[in-house]
Amino acid sequence: MMELLTSRKTLSVSEKLEILTDAAKYDVACTSSGVERKGDSTMTGNCVKAGICHSFAGDGRCISLLKILMTNECIYDCKYCQNRRSNDVPRATFTPEEICTLTMEFYRRNYIEGLFLSSGIIGNPTLTMELIYRTIYLLRTRYRFNGYIHVKAIPGADAEVIRSTGFLVDRMSVNLELPTADGLRVLAPNKHRKSILTPMRQIQNGIHQSRDEVALYRHAPRFVSGGQSTQMIIGATPENDWQILNVAEGLYRKFELKRVFYSAFVKVNEDKDLPALPGGPPLLREHRLYQADWLLRFYGFEAKELLDESRPFFNVMLDPKEDWAVRHLEYFPVEINRAPYESLLRVPGIGVKSARRIVAARRSTNLTFEDLKKIGVVIKRALFFVTCSGKMMYPTKLEEDYLVRNLTSKEDRIRFGTDGMSYRQMSLFDDGMFSGKMEASDKWQVVTGQI
Amino acid sequence: MRIYRCEDSLEGIFTGIYRAYEDHSDPKETELSLDEDPRLFAEEVQVVPDREKSKKVVRTLCRRFGEADYMGLCHALASRDDGRAQAVYRTVAQGLARNVAVGHLFDNLADDGVLRAFKLSQNVSRESQHLKGFLRFEELKGGVLYAKIHPGNHVLPFVMEHFADRFPQENFLIYDVGRELFGVHRRLGTWNLMQDSTGTLIREVEGVNRSPSEAEISELFRRFCHTITIEARQNPKLQRNMLPLHFREYMTEF
Repeated sequence: MMELLTSRKTLSVSEKLEILTDAAKYDVACTSSGVERKGDSTMTGNCVKAGICHSFAGDGRCISLLKILMTNECIYDCKYCQNRRSNDVPRATFTPEEICTLTMEFYRRNYIEGLFLSSGIIGNPTLTMELIYRTIYLLRTRYRFNGYIHVKAIPGADAEVIRSTGFLVDRMSVNLELPTADGLRVLAPNKHRKSILTPMRQIQNGIHQSRDEVALYRHAPRFVSGGQSTQMIIGATPENDWQILNVAEGLYRKFELKRVFYSAFVKVNEDKDLPALPGGPPLLREHRLYQADWLLRFYGFEAKELLDESRPFFNVMLDPKEDWAVRHLEYFPVEINRAPYESLLRVPGIGVKSARRIVAARRSTNLTFEDLKKIGVVIKRALFFVTCSGKMMYPTKLEEDYLVRNLTSKEDRIRFGTDGMSYRQMSLFDDGMFSGKMEASDKWQVVTGQI
Repeated sequence: MRIYRCEDSLEGIFTGIYRAYEDHSDPKETELSLDEDPRLFAEEVQVVPDREKSKKVVRTLCRRFGEADYMGLCHALASRDDGRAQAVYRTVAQGLARNVAVGHLFDNLADDGVLRAFKLSQNVSRESQHLKGFLRFEELKGGVLYAKIHPGNHVLPFVMEHFADRFPQENFLIYDVGRELFGVHRRLGTWNLMQDSTGTLIREVEGVNRSPSEAEISELFRRFCHTITIEARQNPKLQRNMLPLHFREYMTEF
């Protein structure tokens, strides 16, 4: 024990950074969006509404914030987490000054857009939250940092500390961890659904109240002005996509979250309660969930349109929008020059941007397929579902089998042993053997929302 | 066909647009050109940049199309594409002719001129967005921050504007390698651009030592970027798509 304590003391900032970055990397959220704040001549930093990505890691994920844990000491024993109490891993704790200096020096060199501070539970939730608060307070007041700050609200912490922290940060998040209470009970015995939802509700109410106050007094302090987000782990527990999507929809509607993040489960611990994932993390599932998430938020879809109890998993070969389209042929074809914006959004190959551009451009002229290409519509997908001035691009059939065959690649059909006449739903274990797994362009489309 | 030969500057091009309107030129038979290549059967007009005229054009553009679309035109004019002046002229001409509402200048993407200007504008604003993230400062001895960039388009003014707002308390320099152009920001002051064709300034700046802590902090960041990668999700192709190789030349972590 003595040895451990002395060795802990001698850790350099560099070693701490390595340990506490490694411990934080499974948290997904790294966005710096949602807040527009001009610079202030007495401070350092500003915020840009759309957020800024500063780098991309070897796994292709954006690096926007200095994403670290304050400490990876933890009194909890969540089975999926590498920082669980019973794991023998090197432990480290940053001092508030170290975190502030790192943030400022990185920010000045334009390495990062701000700080994302999370933490293992040290002592008890309230103490942990207080330490986070103290660090952020120091960063904002003594170091005069005006950039983006995202912190975790620790479930179970005293409401007053969470409230005070909320006035200093741009975004707060409470991790849902697992989609259902059952999953939580099995894998995170120290966490409870209720204690997770309580701070989420508190932050929601705080945001409402602050918005009202700002409407009255322009200089009233802003509470979590970038909104709150959450994340859940996909594939560690046996929930299906339909359940997960319903949970996400509930969070958007009832808790008004800005974002729900999905994180494909990466197995870092051996435990009998964790699933074996021979094909690696379920990246395709995660990808499909993100696609569906965009459909919920920007395309006017509801969860029940995309999946239901009888077909609870996403299609492996078609994205959720294509899948919806081939099952609802009565909506198509859509006439580009007359259809309302909402119907255009439902066409595969037309995203939010191209739908807006179509609506703007058709005021001045009758659009042709040539124009659609220029506007940025993905013609090879859209052509089956649209007409321009009453004509299709070339003769096609509005038939489910025909469309599936044309929307999927030959390699996938051979791999799945079908000729496109029958296609199936995704099961838990299909991942990793699928060619459409991580098309970079698809990923990009998810990032920009052009599905 | 009438060709207006403009100087390659905002002032030059806006004066060109003013002249084209002053002469009641038919937009279909008019071209704004930035080069001196001779053209057959064309009437040539040399445009002398005029501050007053260009100001009038700017005022009209802002009033008729709004600030946002005016910025769109400025972005397009910062492009490296040779046809930028003509694309902007065509867009402005159709906008005025059709009397479009504020914020709707770029609506008619079926028009080739508008589409061209729109694409150029997007391209420039995307590049400056990228650089706002990918640019890296180093700290020189004495605390001055210094960054090098090598953009295709002339995005330095937009980038300077962004960092001047972000770091009001810093003295910083950004050097556009291709254009041999310095952006200089003074602490709590304004920023301006300095042409350095002779290379005296860049030699001087390159001669200054880095601050003592610079090596340590850049090493910390390299370590951070390395550690944050999840091995099980390794995907270099995606990384290359999101962060193209040509940006990496001056980035600390690569």
